[in-house]
Amino acid sequence: MKRLALTNFSLRFPWVILLVVVAMVVGFGSQFPKVKFDNDPENMLSPSEPVRVFHDRIKEHFNLYDFVIVGIVNDANPYGVFNVETLTRIDQLTHQLLSLRPGVDGMPEVIASTGSGNYTSLDLHPSGRFARALNVVFRHDPTHLFNEEGGSAIIGRELIGPSVVDNIKQAEFGSLKLEYLMEHPPTTQAEALVIRDDAMANPLYKGTLVAEDGKAICLYIPIEKKTYSYNVANLVRELTKGWGDENKVYITGLPVAEDTFGVEMLKQMATSAPLAGVAIFLLLLLFFRRVSLIIAPMLVAVVSVVCTMGLLIGLGFKVHIMSSMIAIFLMPIAVADAVHILSEFFDAYRQFNDKRETLRHVVGHLFMPMLYTSLTTIAGFASLATTPIPPVRVFGLHVAFGVALAWLLTMTFVPAFICLFISNKSLHKLCALTGHEEQCEIRNGLLDRFLRALGGVTYRRARLIIGVAVAVMVISIVGVARIQVNDNPVKWFTKSHPVREADRVLNNHFGGTYTAYLTLHADPNSTMTGRDMAEAIRARARVRFSADESPALGRFLHEVDALEQKLSDMDTCSPASCFAQLAEAAKRIDGKAMSGWEVLADEINYLDPEGLTHAALVATVTGLDALDTVGRERYLTDLQAYSALTGTVLMEEALALCDGYMEHSFESFVTVMTTEMTAPAFKRPILLNYVEALQHHLDGIAVVGKTSSAVDALKKAAYELQYVALPVELTPEEYAILQARNAAFFAVPDEAAAVGQVYIQLEGMKKRDSLFHLVTKDYQEANIWVQLTSGDNRDMQAVVDETARYMAAHPPPLKLEVGWAGLTYLNVVWQEKMVRGMFSSLVSSFVVVLAMMMVLFRSPLFGLLAMAPLSLTILFIYGLIGWVGKDYDMPVAVLSSLTLGLSVDFAIHFLQRAREEHKRHGSWQKACVPMFSEPAMAISRNAITISVGFTPLLLAPLLPYRTVGFFLATIMAVSWMATLLVLPALLTLLRRFVFGTGENDTPIDEGGAQ
Amino acid sequence: MMMKPMALLLASGLLLGAGVKAPAADETDANTIVERANKASYYAGKDGRAQVKMTLSDGRTREFVILRANADEGMEQKFYVYFMAPADVRKMAYLVHKRPGGLDDRWLFLPALNLVKRIAPGDKRTSFVGSDFLYEDVSGRGLEEDTHELIESSATQYVLKNTPKDSGSVKFLSYTVWIDKETFLPRKAEYLDKNGTLYRRVVATKVETIEGHPTVLETYAEDLVSGSKTVNSFSEVSYDLGLKDGLFTERFLRRPPREVTR
Repeated sequence: MKRLALTNFSLRFPWVILLVVVAMVVGFGSQFPKVKFDNDPENMLSPSEPVRVFHDRIKEHFNLYDFVIVGIVNDANPYGVFNVETLTRIDQLTHQLLSLRPGVDGMPEVIASTGSGNYTSLDLHPSGRFARALNVVFRHDPTHLFNEEGGSAIIGRELIGPSVVDNIKQAEFGSLKLEYLMEHPPTTQAEALVIRDDAMANPLYKGTLVAEDGKAICLYIPIEKKTYSYNVANLVRELTKGWGDENKVYITGLPVAEDTFGVEMLKQMATSAPLAGVAIFLLLLLFFRRVSLIIAPMLVAVVSVVCTMGLLIGLGFKVHIMSSMIAIFLMPIAVADAVHILSEFFDAYRQFNDKRETLRHVVGHLFMPMLYTSLTTIAGFASLATTPIPPVRVFGLHVAFGVALAWLLTMTFVPAFICLFISNKSLHKLCALTGHEEQCEIRNGLLDRFLRALGGVTYRRARLIIGVAVAVMVISIVGVARIQVNDNPVKWFTKSHPVREADRVLNNHFGGTYTAYLTLHADPNSTMTGRDMAEAIRARARVRFSADESPALGRFLHEVDALEQKLSDMDTCSPASCFAQLAEAAKRIDGKAMSGWEVLADEINYLDPEGLTHAALVATVTGLDALDTVGRERYLTDLQAYSALTGTVLMEEALALCDGYMEHSFESFVTVMTTEMTAPAFKRPILLNYVEALQHHLDGIAVVGKTSSAVDALKKAAYELQYVALPVELTPEEYAILQARNAAFFAVPDEAAAVGQVYIQLEGMKKRDSLFHLVTKDYQEANIWVQLTSGDNRDMQAVVDETARYMAAHPPPLKLEVGWAGLTYLNVVWQEKMVRGMFSSLVSSFVVVLAMMMVLFRSPLFGLLAMAPLSLTILFIYGLIGWVGKDYDMPVAVLSSLTLGLSVDFAIHFLQRAREEHKRHGSWQKACVPMFSEPAMAISRNAITISVGFTPLLLAPLLPYRTVGFFLATIMAVSWMATLLVLPALLTLLRRFVFGTGENDTPIDEGGAQ
Repeated sequence: MMMKPMALLLASGLLLGAGVKAPAADETDANTIVERANKASYYAGKDGRAQVKMTLSDGRTREFVILRANADEGMEQKFYVYFMAPADVRKMAYLVHKRPGGLDDRWLFLPALNLVKRIAPGDKRTSFVGSDFLYEDVSGRGLEEDTHELIESSATQYVLKNTPKDSGSVKFLSYTVWIDKETFLPRKAEYLDKNGTLYRRVVATKVETIEGHPTVLETYAEDLVSGSKTVNSFSEVSYDLGLKDGLFTERFLRRPPREVTR
C-alpha cells in the first residue's frame, strides 16, 4: 500500500528517522540565537501601507515623536501637585532626564540634582534573579538608552514638562514676560500656586500638561524610537523610586504599553508555553498511563515547535505578538494526530501482538483521515496568507508548516520511536494493567461508560439534538450580529497591571493619553480663485470707503475688475505682480493729496514734542510744499480743535489727524488686502475661525478629552499681547467693562497680518519651534492634536466618523485635504483590515475545506456533514463573543482559523470510522455502538487534552493569551459536542441518504421508552 | 561681552564698528583682549545702519533694517529693528535699550494690532524672530557674566574659552570664540552643551571694510541638534549717520523714522 510507504520506511530504518529528526532539531534550533523581537503593532501594517506612509510624513512634517507619558499624581496635598516638594521633584526629574548620557563605562548616568555638574551612574538592571536571567536569555538590555552615536534616546529639546515649556504672562508695568512655565522650582507655596495659575491659563497646557483638578502633572518624554520606551519607563521608575507615597508616578502612552507588552510577551513565552506542554503531558499520562508511550506525541509537539520557530527566525522574521503564539497553537494540533495513533494502537495491538504489524494496521487505517485533518488544518492556517497583515501572514504560513511537519513526524517518527523504544513486554504489561483481559485497550472506565451512553442518546433523541443545535445556531447568529469589533493594546494587560492602572488614573485626570492627529492641508494653488479674491476685495472696499468717495471708489472697483481678469489668466501676471499693479493703480487714484499727508505726518513726527505748540505746528504745515492748498486748509481747520493742547498730547492728536485722512488711502487698503489674499491658508482668520469651530465640535465628543491646535496658541498669545493691565481703583462696572474688553482679546485676530505678527512672536519663544508641531512652517498645513481618554479602536473610529460628518455638513472656507495620523488611528486601520482579511480568509478556507471533504469522502453529502460541527462551533464561539460583549480583537480573529482546523479533524475521524463501522455492521444503529467506543474515546481524549492543556494560559498576565486559552477550551468543548452529538444525530436522521438502502426500517423511539 | 553672538549678528559692523587697524603687540591676557575687542567693537563709530536679509534653513526669510546708536556717555546702546518683509510683518518694529550690567528694555510694535507692548526683561536666550540667532546675539552677553581664558594664540587669531560664572542660568557649559587679531572681530563662536557636546555655532563668513570699519557682511548661526541654520546677509551698511536719540522711542515705533524707510 502506497499510504504505508513512509511508515514502512520508518519501521525498516528507525535509526535513520531518529537521526534525521535530531539533525533537524539541531539545525533549526541553532537559528534561535539569531532571534529578534518586534513588539510594534504598527508593523501589523506593511511599511508601504498608505496610512503608515502618511503617518510617518505627518510625524516628520510636524516634528512629532512618540511619547513616554509620565504622570505625577498627588492626591494627599490640599494643593495637589502644586506644592514646593512635588514641583521640585518634577523639576529635578526633568533635568535628570535631559542630562541622560553614557558614562565612561557606557552605563547611563544623569546629574545628581538640578543645576549640578555631578553625574551619577545608574543601575537599571532588575533586582530579581529570574528577571535578570530572562533579560539575558532574550537579550534585553535595560541600559540600552543611547543610539549608535551615543546620543540619548530622549529627544531633550522636545520634552514637554513645566520646567521646559514656554509661558507668556503679564508682568510689571503692563509688560509681557516670556519664560518657562517653571523657570525655577518654587520656594514657597505662593510661588507654586503662581505656576498652577499660569498653567491653567494656557489652553495648551490645561488638561495636557496639568490636570484641571490640579492633582497631576504630566511629562511627555519624546523618544527617538518606540523601542526605547520600555527602557525609558524603567529609567523614570529608577529616578522616582524614592518619591514616597504622596507623589505617585504613573507611566503610560501607547509606545510604553506596546513595548511593555513585548517584554512581557517574552516572559509569557518562557512560562506559559512550557506550562501548557507540561499540562498536556500530565493529561496524556492520565490517559495512557506510561511515560514511555506519551513521550512520542510530546516529542512530535516539541520538534514541530522548535523547527517552526527555527524556520521563522532563520528566515529573518521577527518574533511578533502573533508569532509568539505559534507554539501555543501548534502544540495541540501536533499532539492530536499522535493521540489518535496511540489510541488506536492499543486497541489493535491485541489482534496482532506485534508492534510493527499493529503500526502498519493503524497507520493504514488512519492514513487518509490524518492526511486530511492535517491538510484541512494547513488550509485553515495557510488561508491567513491572504490577509493584508504581514505578521498574520507569517503566523499562518508558519503554523501551516508546523502542522505539515507534525503530520510527517506522526507518520515516520512516532512509528520509529515505538519501534525502537517501546518493548513488547511493556505493552503486555499495559494490557494487564487495564484489568480487561479480553481487551487490551486503555480506557477510562467513567469516560467510556459515558460515551457509550451518549451513543445511545444520539440515536434515540436525534430530533431533539438537532432541534437544540438549530436553536443554538439561531441564537448564535443573533450574537454574531452583536459583535463589537474593537481593540486597544492597553487592554491587552490585566486590569491590575501597572500599565493599565496608569492608563486609568491618568485618563481620569487629563484630557487623554491617547493621541491622534487630525491634519488639514490646504493646497496653495487651489485655495482661492482670482474671482474669489476680487469678490472679497470689492466687498471690503464697499465697507471701508463711504459713499462720498464714490467717484474714486468707482475707479478703484474698475481696477479690481481688471485684476480679476488678469488673475484668472495666470499667464498675464502672478498674484504678487497683479497685486503690485493694483497698488500702483490705487496710488494714482489716491493722488497727490494722500502722499502729502504722509509727508506731513513724517514732518510732525520729527518735531521735538517737548514744548510743542499749536503755533509751531501751524508753521510746519504752512511751510510744507507736499500739501496742496485744499489739503492744507482742511488740516489747519481740523487742527483748530486742539489749539489749547501742547507738547506730546498735541503731537499725538496732530498725527492722529493725518492717520484719519490716510485711512482713505486706496493704496494702503490694497496693501492690507494683498496680505490678506496672499497669506498662507493657516494665517487667514476665516480658516482659523473654522478650525476653532471644528475643535469646539470635537471637544463635544465624549471620548475626546481635549484638542489643541495652532489656534489655541495664537489666541493665548493674542490675548497676552493685547491685554491691558487694569488700574487699581475701579468701580465694579468699570472693572467689568475692562475685563470684558480684555477677554475679547482671547480670539483669532481679524486680519491675516495681525495673525502673522502674533505668530512670529510664538516662533521666537524660548522653546523654539514648538508652534511648528501644530502648523507647518509655511502655514499651509495644520495639525490638530486630539487627545482621547480611550484607546479603543471603536472610540477612535467614532471620532473619525464624527469629524467627517461635521466637515461634510460644514464645508471649510478653503479647500482642505483631511488626514488622520497617530498611533491610536493606525490601530484602527490595521484592525479594520484584519477583520475584513480574517473574514475573507475564513470564507475561502471554508470553501477549500468543504471541497477537500467532498473529495475525501467522495460524497457531497459527507462533505457537508463534515462541515457541520465546525460551522456550529464557529457560529457558537462568535455568537458567544457577541452575547458576552467581548470585543472582537486580534486573538479572537485568529481563533477562527484554529477552530476551522481543529473542529473538522474530529468530524473527519468520526465520519471515516462511521462509514467503516456501517460497512462492517450493516446498519447505522449497530455501527453506532462501536463508534462510541474507541473513535469517540480518541476524540474525547483529544478534546480534553487540548482544553485542559491550555488552562495555564488562563493565569497569564496578558489578556490575549487568556483569551486564547479560554476559547481553545471552549472550541474543544463545543466541537466535541458537535461531533459526538450533532453529527451522529444528523447521521441518524439522514441515514437513508447517507448510507443508502437498508437504513429505512429501524424506527427511532422519540419517546425514549427504550 | 563682545565676541558674543551679538557681535556676530550685528557684527555687520554696526556694533563692532571700527576694527583696530594697527594691532599692537600680541596680547596675552584674556580679559584685556575681551575688553579691548569689546571697546573697539561697540564704541567706535557713533551709530550705524544696515539692511539685513535673514534666511532660515526651511526657506523662510525676514528682511529688516537695524539702526544702532551709542549713548554719548557710558556703555548703553539703543537698537531699532524695522521689518519690511514678509508682507504680514511689514512695519513690525522692535526697540531695545541695552544696559550692560543691568536689565535691557524691550518694546515691540505690531502694526496690524496697532499695539506697542513692552517685553519684560528676562531670558535673553530666546530665539530672535524664530531664527537660530538669539536675542542675546542681538543685545549681547555681559562681559562680567563669564570668566575668560586665552587658550590659544595663532598668527591671526586669539582663541578664548568663556565659562559662565552662573552655570544654572544658561544652557551651555562653555563657549569658545575665535577673534581676529587684526580687526578684533570674532569670526567664530562654538557652544558646548552641559554634556560637553558641541551644539551651536555662530560664524562670520564675510568681512569687508566699509567706511573704514571692518564689517561682517554675512554670518550664520546653526543649531547642530535640530540641524537648522540661519544666514544673515547685510547690505547698505553705513556709519555715523547722526541718528537722533528721539528715534529710539515708542513714537517712532508706530511711525518708522526716515532712516529706515528710505
